[in-house]
Order: sequence, then C-alpha cells, then structure tokens
Amino acid sequence: MHPILTITGVSKNYGKLTALDAVSFEVPAGAVFGILGPNGSGKTTLLSIILDVLHADTGKFSWFGNTPQTNNRKQIGSLLETPNFYHYLSAVDNLKITQAISGRGNSADIDKVLEIVKLSERKKSKFSSYSLGMKQRLAIGAALLGNPDVLVFDEPTNGLDPVGIAEIRSLIQSLAAAGKTIIMASHLLDEVEKVCTHVAILKKGILLTAGPVDEVLAQEDIVEIAASNNDDLLNIVESMGGFSKIKKHTNCLQLFYPIGTAQLESINKYCFEKGITLQQLQLKKKSLETKFFELTND
Amino acid sequence: MFSLLKIEWLKIKKYPAFWAMLIIVLLTYPAANLMFYNVYLRITTQKGTDMLAKMLLGNPFAFPETWHTVAYISSFFVILPSILVIMLVTNEYQYKTQRQNIIDGWTRRQFMTSKLMDVIIVSGITTILYTLVAIGFSVYASTFDVSKMWDQSYYIGLFFLQTFAQLSIAFLLGYLIKKAFIALGIFLFYYLIVENIATAYLKLKAQKIGGDIGRYLPFEISDRMIVSPAFMGRFGKDLKEAYEKALSEVPSQIVLSLLLTAAIWAFCFLMHRKKDL
Repeated sequence: MHPILTITGVSKNYGKLTALDAVSFEVPAGAVFGILGPNGSGKTTLLSIILDVLHADTGKFSWFGNTPQTNNRKQIGSLLETPNFYHYLSAVDNLKITQAISGRGNSADIDKVLEIVKLSERKKSKFSSYSLGMKQRLAIGAALLGNPDVLVFDEPTNGLDPVGIAEIRSLIQSLAAAGKTIIMASHLLDEVEKVCTHVAILKKGILLTAGPVDEVLAQEDIVEIAASNNDDLLNIVESMGGFSKIKKHTNCLQLFYPIGTAQLESINKYCFEKGITLQQLQLKKKSLETKFFELTND
Repeated sequence: MFSLLKIEWLKIKKYPAFWAMLIIVLLTYPAANLMFYNVYLRITTQKGTDMLAKMLLGNPFAFPETWHTVAYISSFFVILPSILVIMLVTNEYQYKTQRQNIIDGWTRRQFMTSKLMDVIIVSGITTILYTLVAIGFSVYASTFDVSKMWDQSYYIGLFFLQTFAQLSIAFLLGYLIKKAFIALGIFLFYYLIVENIATAYLKLKAQKIGGDIGRYLPFEISDRMIVSPAFMGRFGKDLKEAYEKALSEVPSQIVLSLLLTAAIWAFCFLMHRKKDL
C-alpha cells in the first residue's frame, strides 16, 4: 500500500534562517502521525508546504503516491495554524464556502459536523462573535466536512478549555479507530503520546527522529528496582553487570539495558541470592516527554 | 468558472459593505447627474441667454448624447466601487482566507481568477447602474427618441472598460498593501490629489517636454477614454481644437488602458503563483 504522504528532502529558508533542513519521512495509511518540536522548530512550515501554502526551496512531497495535485488537497480536511473564516458570515455560511471549494460533503453534512463540534446552537451567529474555543471548534468542523480519509491538524487543541481538549482527544481517537490517517502537529506531548501511533521530532528545522511511537521511544529497556535500603541495593547491582548504565533516584534505581536484553527474573533472583528482597521490580517504557527533552535539549 | 462565480457570490452576498456600496452608487449616480442637469436647466431657462445657451449646449441629456454625458459625470465616482474592491481583497488577507481557500483545494490561479471575477462583477453592476441612469435621464429630460437611442451606446462599453481599468488599479493596491486602511489611504491620496496635480503640471509643461505625457498616468490613461461632453467643444476655437484632439486620442487611450489592465492582472497572477501565502 502507498504511503499517504511522502516527504523527500524538503528544505525551506527565510533569508539566513533555516526553517526546514532536508526533512524526509513517510506517513503510512491509517497512522496518527504526531509532528513534535519546540516553538520555531518548523512544524507549521512543514504543514504549510504539504498544503501548498508555502513553496519548498528544495525537495518534494507527494500525497497518495501522486505528485502534488489540486484534487489531493480537496480530499484532505485541514486546520492550519489559526481558524481562517469570513468574520461577517455565520458558521453555516462559512462551511458552505468550504464545501463549495473542496467539494466535500453537502448541506446535511454541514449540520452534522456542527453537531460534532457542538456549535449547532450558534450555527447562525457571525464568526466574529465566537470565542477563541468556538473558532477552533469551527475549524475542526470544517476539516471534518465530508468525512475525509486524511486529516491535517496543526495544534488542534489551541484555545480549548480542559473539557474541549478531552473531547478533541477522544474525537481524534475515534477518527483513528475509524481508519482515518491523521497528521497532527502539537506541543502537547502527553496528548500526542495518548493518540499517536507514529511520531516525528523536529528541532530548528532538522528532523531528529521519525517512526512508530514504540520504536522511537523504546531504544532501551529501563528497569526500575527498589528495596528497603537502596544504598545496599546499589552496591549489589553494580557488581551484577549486563546493563549499560545505572541511575539512582530518591525512591528507586533505574537500570538501562540494550533493547530486549533486560531479564526481570534474573535481576530478582540475583538480588535475592545476595540477601536483598526487592520491593519494586518494573520494566518501564520511556515517556515521550523524556525522549523529547533528551533529543531537543542541547 | 461558474463554480468560482458561485463561491464569490457566497462571499459577497452577505457582506454589508457590498450592499452599502450598491445603495450609495444607486443614490450618487442619479444625484450627481441631477445636479448637473439642474445647472443646465438654470442656464437654459435664464431670460436673455436661454436661446444662446440652448444653441451652444444642445441637450446633453437627450439621446444619444446622454450616454456620453452621464458616463463622463458618473466616472468621477469610481472611488465608491474602488473602496469595495479594496475591501474585498484586503479582507482575504485580514481573515487569512486567501490561505484557507488554497488549503481547501483551490489553485492559486483559481483564487486570482475569482478575484478577477469580483472586479468584473463590481464593474458590471456599476455599468448597469450607469446605463439605467443614462436611459432614465433621457426619458426624464427630453422627448424620448427611440431612433437615436443606441447611436452612442458604445459609451456603455467605454464606461465598463474605464471602470474595470480603474478598479483593477484599486485591486492591485489592495493586493500589494494588504491592509485595508493603508491601501484606501494611498488610493484616495493618489487618485484625488497626486495624479490630478501631476496631470495639471504635465499639461502646463507639455510644450516644453514635447507632448502631454500626463495621458500616460495610470488613471489618466482610462480617464481620457471618455472625454468631456460634446458641448465643451462649442466654446471657441481653442476648446474646439482641444476637444477634437482629445477625441482623436480616444482609440490610443483604449489600447493603452487594455494594455495596462492586462499587465496589472498578468502581474497579479504571476505573483500569486510564486509567492508564499
């Protein structure tokens, strides 16, 4: 099966500033693909290029295995950076324009998406009278119009209250469960970790890593152990070997092993034979936040 | 093409400034012509001079002369639809919908074509209003002579071309400047002050320079397609010569207007294809 999106060596400069430096990756069909990076890392620039709003200086991209074509964008529901609508028109009238340009959906679909994003009661109010959260909801509604198979969301939870954030997260999860491909840029690592299957991390326009979340995160096994006296435990495990490094925390020790080599049973047995009973023994996955800071901190 | 038109109509039909402009133009064109007509009536009904005035002026509001007179007077008010055109293009920047339209699936060419259609639509509506006012005045101010009705109706085409050419300049300013108030300010300052002073100055210096190059100024190019009404050429030898010279230059002014307008749109299409949105 063709990847939904293939990006090959895309670079973009603003004068002397490099916004993107030869970025390449693929988004497989059905993935929820998170694009992460600190402010100014090039996330929005990258999304703007794949939506034809910005021109890349070098490199290319293709949707659905084709070279860039207008009709490709019509099949993609997108929210880029800010909700962009005609201020003097209502939600319904604005979505009629989205519908007419993209060819996605019909009048009944407009009511349906307004229901999904909980704007039905205010559907005839002018866009200019909306709060920031309502504007964001309308932009998400516009992206959902006509039930597209591919969605691009740039910071979809911007301006939403905690309930709104939870609703959008569950909406994204239900869209993913329905087999949609979602490409999402976000600062909210916790959000991304909860919903994404794949991730790409950018820093100053350079792609640091990209791939399935499990692969990006699980480059080593981390075993957390604790006993009643962690100093004694430390002395014993130091002579055990097999791990690449050891870290002492207040309540536990962390042992780092090359991926797939940590044997919990052997560790337990070794400590027991050395006269220490473990109170905690756990194989932990690295959090996306840890990995993100590890990669993006200088 | 029809779908672009339909989408532009969705954008315009609930835009208050569009209807406000329509009502203002609807009031201004007849009002301005009525003022002119009242002056004409006063001159031609004054005892002692009425016969001479009638002989010199004729009836500028009777067919076929009404096409020319009303076009000339109405053309001073192109400023009204220009404001609307500037608002229509700067709105797209203010709301960032020029990006959103592309994101939703339009090509950059389709976006610019839709803006070209906006300018054509506004020019068309303005021309329809001019046509109605010209016919209305002729019916009101003279005996309705159907046989001469269409004799100078080519002024409908000239009025449309002049409006379209000048609105295209307004569009270009809005497109390049992006901010409504700055674009409007520059447009009004240039249209009302700079070009009028430059035109008058260049006319004064015409002999020294070796020709009236003021005719090549952006608005003057199309302004000179519709020369002042015919009676202006009946006041002495100098005015007659000036009137006839202006008339003889009309074909070249039409060509220049077409060239300038085509260049403006070619520039806008090319720039929109290349630039980042």
